Amino acid sequence: MTVVSEGLGQRGAGWRRLAAVVADSRDLLGWLFMLPAAALLLVFLLYPLGLGLWLGLTDATLGEPGEFIGWDNFVTLFADDVYWLSVFNTIVYTVVASVAKFMLGLWLAMLLNEHMPFKAFIRAIVLLPWIVPTVLSAIAFWWLYDSQFSIISWALIHMGLIDHNIDFLGNPVNARISVIIANVWRGIPFVAISLLAGLQTIPSSLYEAATLDGATGWQRFRFITLPMLTPIIAVVMTFSVLFTFTDFQLIYVLTRGGPINATHLMATLAFQRAIPGGQLGQGAALASSMIPFLVASVMFSYFGLQRRKWQQGGRD
Amino acid sequence: MTEITRRDAIKLGAAAALTAGASGLAGGPAAQAQTAFALKPEAGASLKVLRWKRFVQGDEDVWTANTKKYSDATGVAVRVDSENWEDVRPKAAVAANVGSGPDIIITTNDDAQKFPNKLLDVSDLADYLGGKYGGWYDVCNRYSKRDGKWIGIPMGCAGNALVYRKSHVQKAGFEEIPKDLAGYLKLCQNLKKNGTPAGFALGHATGDGNCWTHWCLWSHGGKMVNEKNQVVLNSPETIEALEYAKQLYATYIDGTLSWLDPSNNKAFLTGEISLTANGISVYYAAKTSTDPAMKALADDIYHSNFPVGPSGVPTEQNLFFNMIIFKYSKYPNAAKDYLRFMMEKEQYFPWQTASIGYTAHPLAAYSENPFWTQDPKSLPYRDAVKVMRDNGYSGTLGAASAQCMADFLIVDMFAKACTGNVSIKDAAMQAHEQAKRIYKA
Amino acid sequence: MARTLADQAGGMHYLVSTPRRVVTVYLPLAIFVFVLLFPFYWMAITSIKSNAELYDTSHGSPFWVIKPTFEHYYHLLFETDYPNWMWNTVIISVVATFLSLFASVLAAYSIERLRYRGARTAGLVIFLAYLVPPSILFLPLAAMVLNLGLFDSKLCLMLTYPTFLIPFCTWLLMGYFKSIPYELEECALIDGATRLQILVKIILPLAVPGLISAGIFGFTLSWNEFIYALTFISSSENKTIPIGVVTELVEGDVYHWGPLMAGALLGSLPVAVLYSFFVEHYVSSMTGAVKE
Repeated sequence: MTVVSEGLGQRGAGWRRLAAVVADSRDLLGWLFMLPAAALLLVFLLYPLGLGLWLGLTDATLGEPGEFIGWDNFVTLFADDVYWLSVFNTIVYTVVASVAKFMLGLWLAMLLNEHMPFKAFIRAIVLLPWIVPTVLSAIAFWWLYDSQFSIISWALIHMGLIDHNIDFLGNPVNARISVIIANVWRGIPFVAISLLAGLQTIPSSLYEAATLDGATGWQRFRFITLPMLTPIIAVVMTFSVLFTFTDFQLIYVLTRGGPINATHLMATLAFQRAIPGGQLGQGAALASSMIPFLVASVMFSYFGLQRRKWQQGGRD
Repeated sequence: MTEITRRDAIKLGAAAALTAGASGLAGGPAAQAQTAFALKPEAGASLKVLRWKRFVQGDEDVWTANTKKYSDATGVAVRVDSENWEDVRPKAAVAANVGSGPDIIITTNDDAQKFPNKLLDVSDLADYLGGKYGGWYDVCNRYSKRDGKWIGIPMGCAGNALVYRKSHVQKAGFEEIPKDLAGYLKLCQNLKKNGTPAGFALGHATGDGNCWTHWCLWSHGGKMVNEKNQVVLNSPETIEALEYAKQLYATYIDGTLSWLDPSNNKAFLTGEISLTANGISVYYAAKTSTDPAMKALADDIYHSNFPVGPSGVPTEQNLFFNMIIFKYSKYPNAAKDYLRFMMEKEQYFPWQTASIGYTAHPLAAYSENPFWTQDPKSLPYRDAVKVMRDNGYSGTLGAASAQCMADFLIVDMFAKACTGNVSIKDAAMQAHEQAKRIYKA
Repeated sequence: MARTLADQAGGMHYLVSTPRRVVTVYLPLAIFVFVLLFPFYWMAITSIKSNAELYDTSHGSPFWVIKPTFEHYYHLLFETDYPNWMWNTVIISVVATFLSLFASVLAAYSIERLRYRGARTAGLVIFLAYLVPPSILFLPLAAMVLNLGLFDSKLCLMLTYPTFLIPFCTWLLMGYFKSIPYELEECALIDGATRLQILVKIILPLAVPGLISAGIFGFTLSWNEFIYALTFISSSENKTIPIGVVTELVEGDVYHWGPLMAGALLGSLPVAVLYSFFVEHYVSSMTGAVKE
């Protein structure tokens, strides 16, 4: 970066004056600083996104650009039971997994916040599930969930708790629970470590004062921990919801949407329609129809959960 | 083994031309007249080929060796990348959509029919091969041709036959797999009683799930569409098929609803099930294993074709392989010439032999490959292309049929009916409505 | 500072008796650790089992391995392109992460400290980048990548990964920059320093923990990315670990569990090492980010 400023300097007085003007103007300098991020996002995100939205309004197939057909794709989708099933699945998946990740993650964060031997080590290994490439941990789960060779079934049978293999992915309800568990398993560490950071910002004097006033553990949690954590919860959960809602890899490996479409999420169904099915326009329309849900969930946590707009740089 | 094959292959050379004339041939007299294929690869040509990752080791070894032979003979550098067969699909989709990628992709089922305009017309090559080797089997016309032009060169199909443990079937009271539907059901019920059940995938398994459910539907006379592409799925025949399947499902091992393509291989090789439908890869795995227990298992493994329904004709659906050349290829002649080379008997026979017939041949004359008679256990796979039906039966293949397959319409209809998720009537009706929406669009 | 707060937060443990701590803290924590780590144990044990032992539950417990073998690791390292994939993943993740950090530092600084017109909107808009699911974005993006001539190259992944890294990194750094006192900057301005000098010489050194945690986050996401790498890369020598393992180690309808699990474990090793060094920084910098 210093190279840049020196380079500017050598180009003579005219450039130097221009540089001075830019440097003095917050707006110009601000926009200049935004340039790298904006360029990358515009080229590789906004443009393809626009293209994707446009595709949703055409009858494009693989290899054929298609023609504008207005809302036809959406009309087709809205009359399609499988689409609504995938919407239902996605909402259940996102809500249940997010709530579970939040509660378990918060609990784990509070446990990790305690004093104990090997604290740093435990914090590090707890992050492992988040580190393994998702698609590979999904394969491991597929093996754990196998209808014949599941080690979980084997162990439970040997303990005498059940008498035949659990059909983890073989009926709609079990399959939904199983994929949610795999998702939660992977998501807990991120939530926990982020919330742990939040917990550390809470001054212990607050707890001490409350304890002296006779507050119970629950009350301390309810009236100190939770309110103080709200901003970070808002952000972490927004990310968590977004990533869960658009999940793809886990389903792609574990069930491919089966059995009987019980685990098809909107993202996987969009892929299935667009790529194996070849209906690019319909796949794009399906993906576009996720956007309102996503906006709603972001808005909910962005404005609903947080007390201050501190992420945007605004003052309280 | 290879030595024997080569000698036999040479002997066969003379006989090959005479063997044309078997039933179910395509190609026509004009095509048969053509005997030489004189396309010279472009100077300095190089090719990129994307194919599916081997199901059996011998396939890849000889394919690579053949490719090297081609490069040595012509100076055309050919690079073969192979990937898990289901991951080839998104790659082909991107290639077709953006107009860049490998010159040749070996695709599955009706993928080529989704983007016919992006594919090189290979009619000359198809006519040459068909003419030289006794003509293409009929189903090739449907998978690889569009509007009278060949858009792909059939490589063959992965035959999907019944794989069974002979000793267990005998214990269930049958010498071999019954040829009729009632007997077959009885066998499955007995197997279940003996604690050595059958298992067929009912999850979203592109290969195994589709194969047996389509067989079940067709064997009872049901079908998705008629010749005019009108949806006729909701029929008494379909209901009958679903009722039959429900009885079959009751005899399967637990958990088949979650099964994907690899599940049955694993369950069979570990002795959990005694009957399933698969390519010859299960047998290959057992046969080539160094483990004595697996060797013993291989001796007990036999294959059989699916039973035949009231219509009296085989109604099998197999995983079809189509080799396509994209129009964007800079070396179309080299690409055609490479495919010609790989499909010529001198290369195809050793390759098919090494893969113990995993890929059944699409050309009539190739049923003379001596390999088929060397190990009688492979025989049920020999005519897989000859007898199979395409997944758009009995309409035309195209965007709609591809989407029905992608959405697992038939598999899910069976899954719903078998598990009692909805009533049999409703399962047929719902699938019918869905198919109508797809075929109308 | 975060550390002292942390110590204080845990400083009340003397109020709780030991048996109670076992029930309320150690036991639940042990269960968490067990559940979170069990799949790893299973992966590890599978990766050293011979194929014969894999499906055999009749001799001994499947939780243990009778004759450990390293053949799968050998196969992976010497008979496949795995080392190559590993190297690609490292290069791509490092470049994508640094690129994102560079863009995010500038963006976060300008949004947070320059407060130019439209900064608030920019802060929100950048966040909306996550509304686009990659599972469908990849097709239009493929056309884009092709037009730029980047198809089947490592560069296309290095350039597309920042699209999902920048928003998070920017957000995290914004929070962090905010915790740095304004007075420092004002003094420097009075002394005639330019904004760039302030950023490089004053803000960045103070924001190192924030950079580390944004970096770790970016690195992990790049390391795990699946669908772009699956569709944009076709040559084996350009593949990343998740793609290489899934597309080339799964053969037909046979899963080779040994190499697959070995690949998964080896593939998480570098990130795990990175984390074990930096996890405390990660926590403390997140702490910085959430403070006002």
